[in-house]
Amino acid sequence: MTDSATEVHGRRRLHATRTFLLQFIEKRGAQLGLLALAFFIVMAAMPNRLVGPLQTAITATGIPLVPPSREQFLGTDEIGRDVLNLVVHGARISLTIALIATVISLIVGTTVGILAGYYRGRVDVWLMRLTDFFFIVPPFVLALVIAPVFVEVVGRGGEILGFRPSLFVIILVIGLTSWGFVARIVRSQTLSLRERTFVDRARVVGSNDLFIMVQHILPNLVPQIAANGALVVANAIYVETALSFLCLGDPLQPSWGTMLYLAQHAGAASAGAWWYLGAPGACVLIVSLSFVLIGNALDDTANPRRRVIP
Amino acid sequence: MIKSSEALAPLLDVDSLSVDYISKGVPLRAIEQVSFSLAAGEAVALVGESGSGKTTTAMSIAGLLPPTAKVSGGDVSYRGKRLPIDDDEAMRPHRWSEISVVFQGAMNALNPVHRVLKQIAEPCILKLGMSQSEATARARELLELVGIPADRGSAFPHELSGGMRQRVMIAMALACRPSIIVGDEPTTALDVITQAQILKLLGKLRSELNLGLILITHDLSVVAESCDRAMIMYAGRIVEDGLVDDIFNEPKHPYTKLLIESIPNPAKGKQILRPITGDPPTLHNRPSGCAFRSRCPSAIQVCATEVPRLDLSVQGRVACHLHRYSTQVQRVGSDA
Repeated sequence: MTDSATEVHGRRRLHATRTFLLQFIEKRGAQLGLLALAFFIVMAAMPNRLVGPLQTAITATGIPLVPPSREQFLGTDEIGRDVLNLVVHGARISLTIALIATVISLIVGTTVGILAGYYRGRVDVWLMRLTDFFFIVPPFVLALVIAPVFVEVVGRGGEILGFRPSLFVIILVIGLTSWGFVARIVRSQTLSLRERTFVDRARVVGSNDLFIMVQHILPNLVPQIAANGALVVANAIYVETALSFLCLGDPLQPSWGTMLYLAQHAGAASAGAWWYLGAPGACVLIVSLSFVLIGNALDDTANPRRRVIP
Repeated sequence: MIKSSEALAPLLDVDSLSVDYISKGVPLRAIEQVSFSLAAGEAVALVGESGSGKTTTAMSIAGLLPPTAKVSGGDVSYRGKRLPIDDDEAMRPHRWSEISVVFQGAMNALNPVHRVLKQIAEPCILKLGMSQSEATARARELLELVGIPADRGSAFPHELSGGMRQRVMIAMALACRPSIIVGDEPTTALDVITQAQILKLLGKLRSELNLGLILITHDLSVVAESCDRAMIMYAGRIVEDGLVDDIFNEPKHPYTKLLIESIPNPAKGKQILRPITGDPPTLHNRPSGCAFRSRCPSAIQVCATEVPRLDLSVQGRVACHLHRYSTQVQRVGSDA
């Protein structure tokens, strides 16, 4: 009998999870976002199999600035590289930078937010002023300052996890400038959670502060962090593009932003080479839009107050 | 006379306890000169309206006073040893292993994202230093003890009914084998049937585990059903203390009398219920003398000047001038 009770219970839990996923999938935004994202993830996962190795000035196959044709589906750039090849390889760089930066920003933001919200008082004031500082620091200026220092320390050559050190500058800069947003949301939520009776109860049965924060408050924050995490990714892609567009990227591992910079530099707009500017631009737009759509759909599903009543 | 104070000391002894709330630097007396004792296996109710100090009394026993409160006098002793009730850190070893609390509003006191089994196991791990598997086994035992099939432990709080959640809270309170349980309105917000079940469960656990039970409530029917003794509190003081039967059949303090008259009694047929007129005094404006005198139908002159002491009477204790005079008159009469 007891076995069947557990079974019924397990089934109900499965049912609840399935209901959540179904509600999430039902949203038009979620469908579009997931579809677009899946497309780009496939691109990022196996660029070599899709379009061959990354073309360089030496291995370029085409004639400079050829409009889209049957051979070069997205045309070529000013040195004859296939734009499709560059865009597909750029997907891996752009997505990786955005995701690692998001992880950094979520970890830092959540830690600072929970500490500030839980301890309040002086800790709160100082941590939030620190947050304000990083919230308003322009990523570009920070990147200009950090880049030479970082390259000096790590060295220009070599690779870290298959990426060149200058990409890590971008990751670091995006991570450092985007956690303020997360920290504020987490703090406000923690302020409300810490007043709940279960926190008092946990303290009374002997939990210390760290245990309460990790075991009791953090799990209650997961829906907010997940929904906002998707928005942070979208923002990270944007900032990455902007930084690379200002020539802070790595020309040897071009991301979409770097491509936009190269296109601008080559005078693609005045030469009428719309494919050269348009392809990476559209990619940036679609990927960040899909993350926003997923984030909103997650929020709509998880937050009962925003759930649309049919 | 040879006696070991350890052995003869009551389970819990509260001796003229006074607690202030500090509001903008000004101390406001929340409870004053509260004294009572609790024996093992005894159930005592603290009854009173909101603001009468019943929760403050109970929470100070568990050392759970809010930071704005200050113990300004008196002692609480557990088996003859003084408890450091105003020191949160020093109270830690006593809490849960000697005195534990069943909070009101079980839904809020349980973390919505953890399975209840895990939450019951928490004090076992933190207080008793059990391993994860030992604690889980103990939690399953506790669930069975409070009448929930152990397999339901895998449920989240929102999947349980209100009564079940309150049972979970009781199981959690029992985790470290305490000898005293303080129930802070454990049956508020439950329907009458569930309320009866929870009270029955508490009664059963009390006799099985020889627990001392302190029940905070404003519901006299809860008292009648589940306690041996009741203490009526008014404006921070105990005004009457006696066996439940005596309090219901022969209330001595005018406040108790009025309280009992304000409960509808179907046996008496049609009757108009008389509410107690006036409002209870706030912390800011306690009247001089007896705090109840302004609402008391039979107040006399001395009530305005002297605070009545909580005197021993034939049955229990009463703090009322009237009662003292009437017993003196009786004594004089019987002497003559």
